[in-house]
Amino acid sequence: MTEQEIKKEKIKNTIYVFIMLSVSGMVGLLAHFLKFDKQQAMSCAIFIMIIMATLLFWTFRLAIAFVGIGVLMGTNVLTLPTFIRECKIDVILFLVGMMVTVGVLKELGLFTWIIQSVITIRHITGVTFVFIIAVLGAFMACAVDEVTSIVFIATLVFQVCDTLKIRPTPFIIIGVLGTNIGSSGTMLGNPVGILIGQKANPPLSFVDFITWSFPIMLVTLTASILILLYMYRKDVRLMTERLTARRQLGLGLGPLVKVPYKSGLAVLLGMISFIAMHHYIELKLGLAPNTVLIVAPLVIAGLLMLWRHERARHYIEADVEWWTLLFFMMLFAVAGTLEETHVSNRIAGYFLQAFGDKPSVLLPVIIGVSAIGSAFVDNIVFVAAFMPIVNNLEHTPLLWALLHGACLGGNITMIGSTANIVALGMLEKRYRTHMYFFEWLKVGAVVGVITCLISWGGIALLSPYMPTPQQRQEARLVMEKSEGYNSHLAISDTNIVDAN
Amino acid sequence: MAVNNKTNVPFASLFKPAYVVCHTKKTDRDSILLELLTQLAYQAGIGNVEQAFKEVQARENEVPTIVGPGIAMPHARLMDITKIVVGIATIKDGFVYAPERSNNTVKLVILTLAPKTSPGLYLQAMSSIAKICQDTTTADKVAELNTPEKVWAFFDSNGAALPEFLRACDIMEPVTVKLQEHDTMERAIDLFVRHRASEVPVIDKDGELIGVVSTHELLRVCLPDYVLWMDDLTPVINFEPFAQVLRKESQTWLAEIMTSEYATVDENSPAVQVAKEITRQKTDIAYVMRGKVLVGVVSLAGFLSKILRE
Repeated sequence: MTEQEIKKEKIKNTIYVFIMLSVSGMVGLLAHFLKFDKQQAMSCAIFIMIIMATLLFWTFRLAIAFVGIGVLMGTNVLTLPTFIRECKIDVILFLVGMMVTVGVLKELGLFTWIIQSVITIRHITGVTFVFIIAVLGAFMACAVDEVTSIVFIATLVFQVCDTLKIRPTPFIIIGVLGTNIGSSGTMLGNPVGILIGQKANPPLSFVDFITWSFPIMLVTLTASILILLYMYRKDVRLMTERLTARRQLGLGLGPLVKVPYKSGLAVLLGMISFIAMHHYIELKLGLAPNTVLIVAPLVIAGLLMLWRHERARHYIEADVEWWTLLFFMMLFAVAGTLEETHVSNRIAGYFLQAFGDKPSVLLPVIIGVSAIGSAFVDNIVFVAAFMPIVNNLEHTPLLWALLHGACLGGNITMIGSTANIVALGMLEKRYRTHMYFFEWLKVGAVVGVITCLISWGGIALLSPYMPTPQQRQEARLVMEKSEGYNSHLAISDTNIVDAN
Repeated sequence: MAVNNKTNVPFASLFKPAYVVCHTKKTDRDSILLELLTQLAYQAGIGNVEQAFKEVQARENEVPTIVGPGIAMPHARLMDITKIVVGIATIKDGFVYAPERSNNTVKLVILTLAPKTSPGLYLQAMSSIAKICQDTTTADKVAELNTPEKVWAFFDSNGAALPEFLRACDIMEPVTVKLQEHDTMERAIDLFVRHRASEVPVIDKDGELIGVVSTHELLRVCLPDYVLWMDDLTPVINFEPFAQVLRKESQTWLAEIMTSEYATVDENSPAVQVAKEITRQKTDIAYVMRGKVLVGVVSLAGFLSKILRE
């Protein structure tokens, strides 16, 4: 870096720090003028500072979150017990378990086998390939998580595009959009899924996601694929031509090896089944809601670490993204402070004043706000802040609106979700090429807006059939009774959830 | 690339008539070098003659520096001098400079001594008289001159001057290993193995560089990321993916292992640009271009050897 570049960078950083502190300060002042008390104003200002930090100083976001927590604690806005409760250690442990399991699955050759299965498909065309990467990306996100899914999809795209010598960018975008859409299908797909599931009052189960979110995801995914096939028709056509030419020469798309995939597949299916049955197991064993859901990936990770004990340390140290998880913890704690200081209640009140309490009005508002917010800020930031508000509004469809808005909004810009950033990082590293903001936006915005509209329609259509929070609670109690569940435990658990 | 212009130093300013030994009676390389060094020690103060002789001799034993027809340009880098010094010896009837090589009768010896801490100065001096050296009559013409003054005047009248900076073309090597765009992977693998090359340039019919095939790309094709993910090496223990690539090598076009990411420099760029491009592209070879045509290569090892040792 030349001296001039260093100087420019310093000036840029100074301006960014000024913007971050100014916006944060203005929010604090605004809160003061809106008659928020000192603690409420402080928690709003710190929360906005962290949002600004993720926008302006992506690489320093964790450091800024640490400092933010320090300021909140130093000013007595956040206490240590509240921090420990609000940093959502359950969600973090769930993600740790998933990350370890995914690391083992990768080493067991499961992902290698899936990629080989794709590149050996006979008579594959550009259109088929687009369907495969979008659907596979979506389903992988549903089964593991969006980041694992996109690493896997990007590797597949690079392999095929390198072999065919075609531009990988359109196919990477397709893979990312498919992955983000798929991440709304289950609670495993995206950290926001597990956060919404856990923080919903009463909590949502894996089956709830499969029943109410997965079908809508399928519709939005199909619509997106059709849009993308049209938008990238030239690239798809070129791919078809190259694939045909290669087939005529009798050449494949990459070397194929005999992969002992069965153990990996068994682990994956076992884990998904375990998680899918969590609600039933919890009732059978008389456990608090979502205990098995949270513990299942941890138990499976533990068993895998016992099995492959020589690699156990590697899985924990290399496969778990501690940086991201620590940031999540700080973020949840700051968002929890908003709830603790009753800022969420007041915002929910303003929401009701502005939009009324009709779900038909609130539904598009929540989808729109969370989609636009997630397009520019890490979606978990938005969901963490919005969850208490949505809980206060007490409409089940709004939970799904928040989930879909947050996941689909991530498609709008290139910085909208972790999957986008990971994929673009891989693209940049491999091809030393940059994606331009508007290159992504012109595709992402179309897909983002259309999928949000479809999602709105889907949720609105299913709303009459969705149980209210009260009905969900009653249904749970009925099931608990029929399973002989300890009612004292159930009540105390519900109280814990309420308190949270 | 920004380079400040400075006045070029004339080659003739690097020596005086007193540094010239005309029509020496010596007839072997080492005696002539020793005679020249002794003369320079008296006239230019080059320090320890014996040490300087050992340095020059060691280099010439390694690679005799015959730079043109009848012209040798031995050199050394010495600690004891602070500026470049040139000494010239002429041999009227010529002598065999390197007995182990054919066609090497030398009539003109241009000894260049450069300060040890001046990388590339010798190459700059060599570059300045490159045109004179390429002229097949130069050695005969200079060998006929009977006084040191006339020899000095010959170089002075020629207007040869040290370039402001060492250029990429001054340190490049000719391209000896290359592939044509219509070649197959089979030929590339043959070249990698035969020449122990880590990368080979691919040119079209007009000599324009269209890409580079590398052993790293070949390895990536044989062991793609998705295969490397596996912890268990059993499926590839007998090089199965390599076998698959070999089965199709004669049908696979070079494009499969060709990359468009390689270091290139214009032939007139400063030589330091070569180092910059090699570092920037994280490679070991820079390709020297005249427009789009490939005219030479500079390997990192060659670059370091020329700049730090020659």
